[in-house]
Amino acid sequence: MVDLSVQVGKLKLRNPVLLASGTCGFGRELKEYIDFSSIGGICSKGLTVLPREGNPGCRVAETPSGMLNSVGLQNPGLDRFVEYELPFMRTLDTAVIANIAGHSTEDYQRMTQVLGAPDSPVDALELNLSCPNVKEGCMTIGATPEGVYQMIKSVRSLTDKPLWVKLTPNVTSITATALAAEEAGGDAVVLINTLLGMAIDIKTRRPVLMNNTGGLSGPAIKPVAIRMISECYRLLSIPIIGVGGIMSAEDVIEFMIAGASAVEIGTASLLHPAVCEKIALDLEEYMLDNQLNAISELTGTLRLWES
Amino acid sequence: MNREYVAVLLEKKIVGKGNALLTFSGKEIAGKAEPGQFVNISCRYFLKRPFGVFAVDTKNNTFTIGVRETGKGTKDILSSRIGDTFLVLGPLGNGFDFANVQKIIAVGGGTGIFPLMFALEKAKSFGIPTIAVNGFRGKEDAFLLDDCESLAGKACFTSDAGDFGIHGNVLHALDTLTKEDTSGAAVFAVGPEIMMKKVSEWAAERGLSCQVSLERRMACGIGICLVCVCKVKAAEKGIPFTHVRCCKEGPVMNASEVIW
Repeated sequence: MVDLSVQVGKLKLRNPVLLASGTCGFGRELKEYIDFSSIGGICSKGLTVLPREGNPGCRVAETPSGMLNSVGLQNPGLDRFVEYELPFMRTLDTAVIANIAGHSTEDYQRMTQVLGAPDSPVDALELNLSCPNVKEGCMTIGATPEGVYQMIKSVRSLTDKPLWVKLTPNVTSITATALAAEEAGGDAVVLINTLLGMAIDIKTRRPVLMNNTGGLSGPAIKPVAIRMISECYRLLSIPIIGVGGIMSAEDVIEFMIAGASAVEIGTASLLHPAVCEKIALDLEEYMLDNQLNAISELTGTLRLWES
Repeated sequence: MNREYVAVLLEKKIVGKGNALLTFSGKEIAGKAEPGQFVNISCRYFLKRPFGVFAVDTKNNTFTIGVRETGKGTKDILSSRIGDTFLVLGPLGNGFDFANVQKIIAVGGGTGIFPLMFALEKAKSFGIPTIAVNGFRGKEDAFLLDDCESLAGKACFTSDAGDFGIHGNVLHALDTLTKEDTSGAAVFAVGPEIMMKKVSEWAAERGLSCQVSLERRMACGIGICLVCVCKVKAAEKGIPFTHVRCCKEGPVMNASEVIW
């Protein structure tokens, strides 16, 4: 019997495969395609205190091996989430992670107080310091180590729940922001959110996206994620959750070797709704084929070339 | 449980310039699809492409879509060969609502005729009288005229160029309809957004209900990515508008809810 379970800080997950925020809603639609008891967890759509309608469309552009999106955190808001979406998510028989975003420190604090309360049914909070599609908060906070540090400090004392910090790759030094997250008391870092990009319609000479720019996701960004995870793994003591272009079990293995303790599947679910369930099954087969007893043994086993 | 299906291309029929009807194997889709619903089909590029269902054959377990070449994805799908396999999700979204519909005026612009043919067929099977109005740029761009004539109780065509049918757009044709034609009818419109807007205004002026099939750039097709949103009225929520998903709450919407 192979052991697919992984430990992310104090949170134990059935397996390392989670659904990434923003690519699975609150699980309602994917429930028609997958058995949630086959995956490690689900990260909610990015939440804000008040409901948001998001950015105007067009919000998507296809790119080589990926896509740009400029959704802009369209979500029903904290109250509706707590009343309606969270109770549903709790029925899914998998770990529930609330992805929280905001314009200001007060927003993040309020979300943390509510969703991170001792009696909240949420298993972990994922602090979104990386959405590139909003004018305030998120990536503007996560762009500097100081911003990351201050924000985590401002919410850390408000909850005992695991605090995951989802970081942006749109920085000069990912290790600097990741270390800031660790020093401020983050329980794990999630690497990486989307890369800021643009696509142009050459007929109109206008950006395809009405927001002009958007977040690039899909296999196109996988090498960037792998490199950043590998760099951070060597310096961090807290666990890393890997995300960015994972399409297969082999990709998950690669992420874990680079240093990830668990992974999130995002864009792949948009192409193949049941892909995360298949990946979890394929991981088991991989372990049997490679005589691995526990998948967690893979984490950080990368052997770099001497340079 | 829903699944992503593997569908085999069984037949390709060219209909007019740059358009084809593609028939795929697909028992589940054939069995479930309703007029106005769509399927999301893989191509060699990253994202699937959405197409309204044109017809289903529940005896042979096939479904057919109409495809016009509008970009690299549709070009790729149109250049595929019989026997090629595709990954398909569907049927997706909400189709036309036939509840309490006594009579239908189906208004299509260009490729809008594809999903409307499925609606006309269903109406025929229900014994609902239909009038079809389809607009094209010109004779060269027109297609499925005979098929439409044989399905609809009454069919009329318009051309922008004036080289066949009524010279002008679908509104010119709609204005030729008698009171008797329009009385108590539900309008189904599929075509360019400006056409659907004008048709919905025409319907509203006559007190007729109108359903429109909206089109947006999509990714997942199943409601999880939120990229294909449409603006709809939300006065009851005390806000000027709300964004709903074209793939999930649409693509067919009540025109009176849409903010154009």
